Amino acid sequence: MVQEKRILYEHLNVPDINTFDVYRQYDGYARFEKALAEYQPDDIAKMVMDSGLKGRGGAGFSTGLKWSFVPKDIEPRYLCCNADESEPGTFSNRYVLEKNPHLLIEGILICCYAMGIETTYVYIRGEFTLGKQMLDAAIKEAYEQGYLGENIRDTGLNVNIYTHPGAGAYICGEETGLIESLEGKRGQPRNKPPFPAVEGVFMKPTVVQNVETLCNLPFIVGNGVEWYTEMGPTYADTREDPPKPDPNTGTKLYCISGDVNEPGVYELELGLTCTELIEVAGGLRGEEVKAVIPGGSSAPILTHYELDTRLDFTSLTLAKSMLGSGGIIVMNETRNIVDCLLNIMKFYAHESCGQCTPCRWGTPWVRDIVQRIADGEGRKTTITRPKFGVTESGRWGDTGETEEIYEDLDLLEEVANNIANVDTMTWNTICVFGIAVSWPAVSYMRKFRPEFEAAIREGKLVTLPVAEATVPPEENYAYQQRFIPKEFSELE
Amino acid sequence: MADEIIQIETPFQFNEENRREFDELIGRYPIKEAAMLPTLHLAQRQEGYITPAVMKHVAELLEVTVMKVKDVVTFYPMFFEEPVGKYVIRICHTLPCALRDCKVVLDHLKAKLGTDVASETNLAKGTTDDGKFTLMKVECLASCDVAPVIMVNDDLYKNLTPEKIDELLEQLPN
Repeated sequence: MVQEKRILYEHLNVPDINTFDVYRQYDGYARFEKALAEYQPDDIAKMVMDSGLKGRGGAGFSTGLKWSFVPKDIEPRYLCCNADESEPGTFSNRYVLEKNPHLLIEGILICCYAMGIETTYVYIRGEFTLGKQMLDAAIKEAYEQGYLGENIRDTGLNVNIYTHPGAGAYICGEETGLIESLEGKRGQPRNKPPFPAVEGVFMKPTVVQNVETLCNLPFIVGNGVEWYTEMGPTYADTREDPPKPDPNTGTKLYCISGDVNEPGVYELELGLTCTELIEVAGGLRGEEVKAVIPGGSSAPILTHYELDTRLDFTSLTLAKSMLGSGGIIVMNETRNIVDCLLNIMKFYAHESCGQCTPCRWGTPWVRDIVQRIADGEGRKTTITRPKFGVTESGRWGDTGETEEIYEDLDLLEEVANNIANVDTMTWNTICVFGIAVSWPAVSYMRKFRPEFEAAIREGKLVTLPVAEATVPPEENYAYQQRFIPKEFSELE
Repeated sequence: MADEIIQIETPFQFNEENRREFDELIGRYPIKEAAMLPTLHLAQRQEGYITPAVMKHVAELLEVTVMKVKDVVTFYPMFFEEPVGKYVIRICHTLPCALRDCKVVLDHLKAKLGTDVASETNLAKGTTDDGKFTLMKVECLASCDVAPVIMVNDDLYKNLTPEKIDELLEQLPN
């Protein structure tokens, strides 16, 4: 069995680790001091680039690359820490904030030192009252101990951290939505470009990073790039010649929930398979796996045929899904996929910010179609097409065969694809919320089509056995093209 | 201008403690408008909900139009424009909680409180007659490992069952 590799979560359950003194006993702020003493800011940025750290918030974009886009000649620059954890199925940041807030502060300090940033806003979900209290208390302590404020450790470095509460809007987890919300407006995402790295909060260069990404920084600085890159697979990007390394390094805080015996956060090296993760989480609750959502509710669903998919950024992208925020939701054989999709579509219909027409109108429309199917009122027509063949009387002629057309399923796919097209990966909206709606809608419907058809046919929700409910992987329309990446070391 | 559109009976002022907190808040941002969300949170904590008078006062403090404050208040689900109960019960009903039978907990809460679920435009629907509770559904509360969960005001309650709900409701003071 795969063993947990606790790095970010190593001291999470140490009593009073949220206080400065205890945190200090466990190497706290030593990595930041090492950064100050041994490295120039540019060295840190280079280390982050070399470590292959990818943003843990959802998009999986290279952190080092993101930092390199920030213009160095425009002052002031800002760091926004995204603690607006609201993707269904994700709950790892909450524990960091509530139990080990000093780790986040240390990460922020390292980022600020590397990027020459003086002001950081931590955007915390409005519902995280305890997390905000704990972080506020830790920030206060850090100020008292001289790790925040003016002239930190007599190096001339100034860093201020402020917490900023959200107010319950999912879209504020999107980086430009977060920036708008931070400026005191409705959290409606901005058009990109300009990217936040160039023009972000208060129209100044802004680095937006997830809590987990920032928490990785102390360990990269403290233990070195070599140590860090040994964890997790490095794939070969064969689109280029010679192949370019595509690192998926480090650990990930996998949040697993749903039908497993021991749901929770498990810190593991990137690159283990779905089956292995379910095993780590105490095994499946139920008889067999029906479906797995690999990266929060926005990610396309995986069927039981795809449980060998490795849970890392590259493998899941090539399997036409995504690791996203690492929120894994497992469903067993008793679950009805139509019902699950209805739940998720209600979520998106509620959370659409209303800025772009395809999303504002499309999300409730998709929800209504799924609701109709779940209520047993899904629309279908039976058509008779002339079909040449041997008739009952034994002669050649029109056999009078009928065909059932599931209008609502076609409509569902059309509406979803008009918000964002999952086949071409183009969206008609400003932000990626659009693709987060149509990805689940289309993938659930394509991969579990028999269950949707059964609900329309029978006029009620029918939970089919797993084997019958799932479209086999040979049916290309459902799975698109799925690739399994090769590790760099496996190349000739 | 704003006074003509919005009828304000009693003006709103921050109390001394909140005023101090506001003065501290405003210094954090290069523009005043950015303090909007924390200021509204502060005002809601004092007043219970966002009244037209609150909006007017916040608009004056942040040097923006009242419409702009209203714009923000209507966008975020955590700001209430109507009175709510002393205890606001938020129940999560997104997929991971749904897989762990949050519906049983919700039905039990509805029966126990004798009220429906509030909608965003009609909070009174989910408020008990004595004004003690407001029951509302919310989206994922980021505690899927301990599902089903509810939040009562600022506190999270985990792994709920109907029995635990009974226990919890009893120990809440009036």
